[in-house]
Amino acid sequence: MQLDAKIPGGPLQDKWDRHRFELKLVNPANKRKYDIIVVGTGLAGGSAAATLAELGYNVKNFCIQDSPRRAHSIAAQGGINAAKNYQNDGDSVWRLFYDTVKGGDFRAREANVHRLAQESTNIIDQCVAQGVPFARDYGGLLSNRSFGGAQVSRTFYARGQTGQQLLLGAYSALSRQIGAGKVKMYPRREMLDLVIVNGKARGIIVRDLVTGKIESHSAHAVVLATGGYGNVFFLSTNAMASNVTAAYRAYKRGAVFANPCFTQIHPTCIPVHGDYQSKLTLMSESLRNDGRVWVPKDPKDKRAPADIPDSDRDYYLERKYPSFGNLVPRDVASRNAKEQCDAGKGVGDTQLAVYLDFADAIRRDGKDLIKSKYGNLFQMYEKITDQNPYETPMMIYPAVHYTMGGLWVDYNLMSSVEGLFVLGEANFSDHGANRLGASALMQGLADGYFVIPYTIGGYLAGESLDEVTDQHPAFTDHTKQAQERIDKLLSIKGKRTADDFHRELGGLMWDNCGMARNDKDLAMAKEKIRALKAEFWENVLIPGADKDFNQSLERAGRVADFLEFAEIMITDALARRESCGGHFNDAFQTEENEALRDDENFCHVSAWEYKGDDQDPEFIKEPLVFENVKLTQRSYK
Amino acid sequence: MTTAKTINLNLKVWRQNGPKDKGRFEEYRASDISTDSSFLEMLDVVNEKLTIEGKEPIAFDHDCREGICGMCGTVINGRPHGPEKGTTLCQLHMRHFSDGDTIAIEPWRARAFKVIKDLVVDRSPLDKLIQTAGYISANAGGCPDGNAVPIPQEIAEKSMDAAACIGCGACVASCPNASAMLFVGAKVSHLGLLPQGKPEAAMRAISMVREMDRLGFGNCGNERECEAECPKEISITNIARLNREFFKASFFSSVM
Amino acid sequence: MNWFTSSFGSSIGKKLLMALTGLCFVLFLVVHLAGNLTLYGGGDLFNSYAEHLHSLGFLINISEFGLLFFALIHIITGTFLFLENLKARPVRYAVNKTGGGRTIGSFSMPYTGLFMLIFIITHLLNFHFVDKTNTTIYDIVTNAFSNPLYVMFYVASMVVVAIHISHGFWSLFQTIGFEHPKYTPFITGLSTVLSIVFGVGFGFIPIYISFIV
Ligand SMILES: Cc1cc2nc3c(=O)[nH]c(=O)nc-3n(C[C@H](O)[C@H](O)[C@H](O)COP(=O)(O)OP(=O)(O)OC[C@H]3O[C@@H](n4cnc5c(N)ncnc54)[C@H](O)[C@@H]3O)c2cc1C
Ligand code: SF4
Ligand code: FES
Repeated sequence: MQLDAKIPGGPLQDKWDRHRFELKLVNPANKRKYDIIVVGTGLAGGSAAATLAELGYNVKNFCIQDSPRRAHSIAAQGGINAAKNYQNDGDSVWRLFYDTVKGGDFRAREANVHRLAQESTNIIDQCVAQGVPFARDYGGLLSNRSFGGAQVSRTFYARGQTGQQLLLGAYSALSRQIGAGKVKMYPRREMLDLVIVNGKARGIIVRDLVTGKIESHSAHAVVLATGGYGNVFFLSTNAMASNVTAAYRAYKRGAVFANPCFTQIHPTCIPVHGDYQSKLTLMSESLRNDGRVWVPKDPKDKRAPADIPDSDRDYYLERKYPSFGNLVPRDVASRNAKEQCDAGKGVGDTQLAVYLDFADAIRRDGKDLIKSKYGNLFQMYEKITDQNPYETPMMIYPAVHYTMGGLWVDYNLMSSVEGLFVLGEANFSDHGANRLGASALMQGLADGYFVIPYTIGGYLAGESLDEVTDQHPAFTDHTKQAQERIDKLLSIKGKRTADDFHRELGGLMWDNCGMARNDKDLAMAKEKIRALKAEFWENVLIPGADKDFNQSLERAGRVADFLEFAEIMITDALARRESCGGHFNDAFQTEENEALRDDENFCHVSAWEYKGDDQDPEFIKEPLVFENVKLTQRSYK
Repeated sequence: MTTAKTINLNLKVWRQNGPKDKGRFEEYRASDISTDSSFLEMLDVVNEKLTIEGKEPIAFDHDCREGICGMCGTVINGRPHGPEKGTTLCQLHMRHFSDGDTIAIEPWRARAFKVIKDLVVDRSPLDKLIQTAGYISANAGGCPDGNAVPIPQEIAEKSMDAAACIGCGACVASCPNASAMLFVGAKVSHLGLLPQGKPEAAMRAISMVREMDRLGFGNCGNERECEAECPKEISITNIARLNREFFKASFFSSVM
Repeated sequence: MNWFTSSFGSSIGKKLLMALTGLCFVLFLVVHLAGNLTLYGGGDLFNSYAEHLHSLGFLINISEFGLLFFALIHIITGTFLFLENLKARPVRYAVNKTGGGRTIGSFSMPYTGLFMLIFIITHLLNFHFVDKTNTTIYDIVTNAFSNPLYVMFYVASMVVVAIHISHGFWSLFQTIGFEHPKYTPFITGLSTVLSIVFGVGFGFIPIYISFIV
């Protein structure tokens, strides 16, 4: 297969305008003749479904949760970037574009990122009009904070609940269309398969999670906005239902998967504290503005943190990166924490944590100032850990947070399957090998509000699509397959629960395909995962019935897909013979242990095409061309 | 984290096989529960054990497990989301219980919320309320600049206070009358306080109140239980504002 | 339904009816209490107050009909609300515990209301719809309060009134939407003060008459 990104010609700044002009339009009166399926109601899916309905298309929208408002986007805390330059501090569309390409370690497409930066300003206007209560200054104008090491203040926020407020905005727009009858909402549905007819995506198979009924839905185009696959690691900051199933099923039907090994590990999360633990909680990155990260110099030093004098502490980030100190980017901070713990210097019961200490900041600025900055975070920390960070240092550890990889899409956000569009975290398009803070929300909303409404019109207007209903043999066939898979799962009646398998898979992935990777461990993990997968299909125990509300069955289906998908991640990690962004292979590092890119040979998107269950996927390369930015090595010394 | 110990608990859990089943309490023992685990993680442990024993695990809703999605929620010993103030069930930690405690776990109970299974209820009526008018009509594209209309910080903050609602339904569950006034009041306040929400304010108040009645929620008796139990500590000030908006809309606007 | 009936028929509309009629009763009670205080001035003062009142004639009739009308609205609407609220939770909780919002006043509103209805009927039968040809109202009152059982019933009723008002008063302001960070604390405070004033003011009369006079 050849991948054509369909990037429009002309100067970077004009590409999107020109493309929008060149895209064919669907006549307003004809829009109601088209049905579009949108899977997912997060920022990407919710905004897309609402906007497409506003334009006049008939939309069917699906989500796993009981309400579209509960999509995982709701959990985003920090904020959303936009090149408004309200602060007059030198921001511009070009700077946001440049920062994002560089932040992604030069593994994203210039044209996509530039479009994202352009649309960012519209997003803020749109959200304000919908009633998103962004933070404001005394004069009533929008307020900004700086975030993720950016040198300008371009992050818009609504307390620590930006994702929630943006999602409620999209949800309210969506609800309006549901009320108007333009969107038919299907909550508590899980997509189990994609249906392709004559080479074009024409529908999906879903399971009604309340009744267990398998349903077919047909349409003229399918939009996936099903979020990221971070839960392949079992423990992550993602919501429990986040999964790879929808994307993976599309992959198995022919959509190629890009850069699966690019995962982001966030440095400041509350550490794991027990085997029973189900998920990890993010503590905002802003804490590193005032907190100092350290571990005891001596691995055998088991004194309480307060009893360890400065001379026996190793402030390793400040030591190794004197100019950036505690503010090094996410990937660097995470890797270093791991390094310290691997050397036995980790603290806490599990020894998988480092201290984030505010004592100096409190001494310098006073408790009140620290409280006004981080009060709610300290409170949340105390709620979970029962420790008071004003008195004793916080303990933090990195955790899986975001997945840059996803289904491959072209400039129109169409996957390698015609008529299948992919938005938000589920696609791979804009963040390269590492995502900067506050840019995922931006991407989800840009995709949904401002990109897909144009590009899907271009597709529909340019195609003559046959009449296909859910009575088409492809639907009956796929329904049968979905049912057989469920029957198979339920018939195993083994001895281990799906969660148990998931936990083991997560451990393998975290240890071997996490913050730092090497060929040997990756290969070993691949073998073990294969064995685990085989065991799963012989020994998984799923209680309950099929035609019922059965959460164990739901989970088992997702774990089964994670088990297969994990292999592709490893395959991709092994194939990328360099270190970049979230992918760090021990064999490729500078003398100072920093990621060493190989722009000569690996300045490309790695896409993978499914070739059968027992075969490695086929590698497809999409070269990345940089005409507007110069590739440089990142240094934080 | 260092003070973790384990406790044993007796659970009395509501089991119900669907909306038509009558339902009953069943008793389980939760052994060796770490006091550092959350209430939901405690249920995970119990479920894991039930599964291995060949029994059906307890169905309960949850997703984010960090207190923001609003999906979790059951009544613990008579208190929605349990005994801690301003805390969702997923953020409630077992250190607030003692060894040997008996804990009764029931689903949200209201005519408007049908039980789907065990502790899982159907909260779609809350979505229906938003669908009737809980929005500002602003199609994508063509919106004025975000700074075109300054919004006093105080107003933006008040609006945000109301917008913090996670739609969990604990207000309905805790209300002696199963009323949804706090939820509706929060939405009417969130949008109505902002200049962008004013044009539709009258229509919003009237439509949402009518829909609320139609869906079978009870009437507000100003008992303040909702405010006391709301995990986001949404104030009943928002109910007063809803009353005001409704009054204005009913008698002084042209909305029928 | 036209806008008028649908507004008052809605849950908030019904609450508004309760609030507005409730407010009238509170005002009435203030006047009533002021009048009753003349009892402490002895039989002559009280009788002359009663005479004065009756000399208002037409005005008094209108107020009486008004009060009766409001009472009917308050009772009927209250009954509707009570039944609807019961219906809104068909399956009750096995364990009930308050989160700290409810008060004795708030949770007992329908029951204190019903008790007050019974009281008002007896009260009217005893003091209003009685043959007043050969006696004075003061004598009727002292006569009635010579029965200790009746005194007990009367005092208990006044406690119930106080409880009803302790919630009803601030609640009516909340319902009509009169709520403000500056004034609401005053109103809730006034709620308590009023309920004590009514409870003690009315409740002490029978005690004064039967034990002290
Ligand atoms: C704790 C946390 C904090 C974050 N903070 C920030 C931040 O401050 N700034 C920022 O820019 N980004 C942040 N991010 C990242 C950002 O929140 C996400 O990347 C983004 O919200 C993803 O949006 P989405 O619409 O693509 O997917 P999601 O919001 O994950 O939505 C997925 C949707 O798809 C549905 N779905 C999934 N699978 C299926 C299936 N098989 N069948 C049917 N439906 C399905 C789900 O029900 C859901 O509706 C944060 C992430 C986390 C975890
Ligand atoms: S008002 Fe509070 S209790 Fe009610 S749904 Fe919202 S967050 Fe939950
Ligand atoms: S699981 Fe999301 S709020 Fe509790």
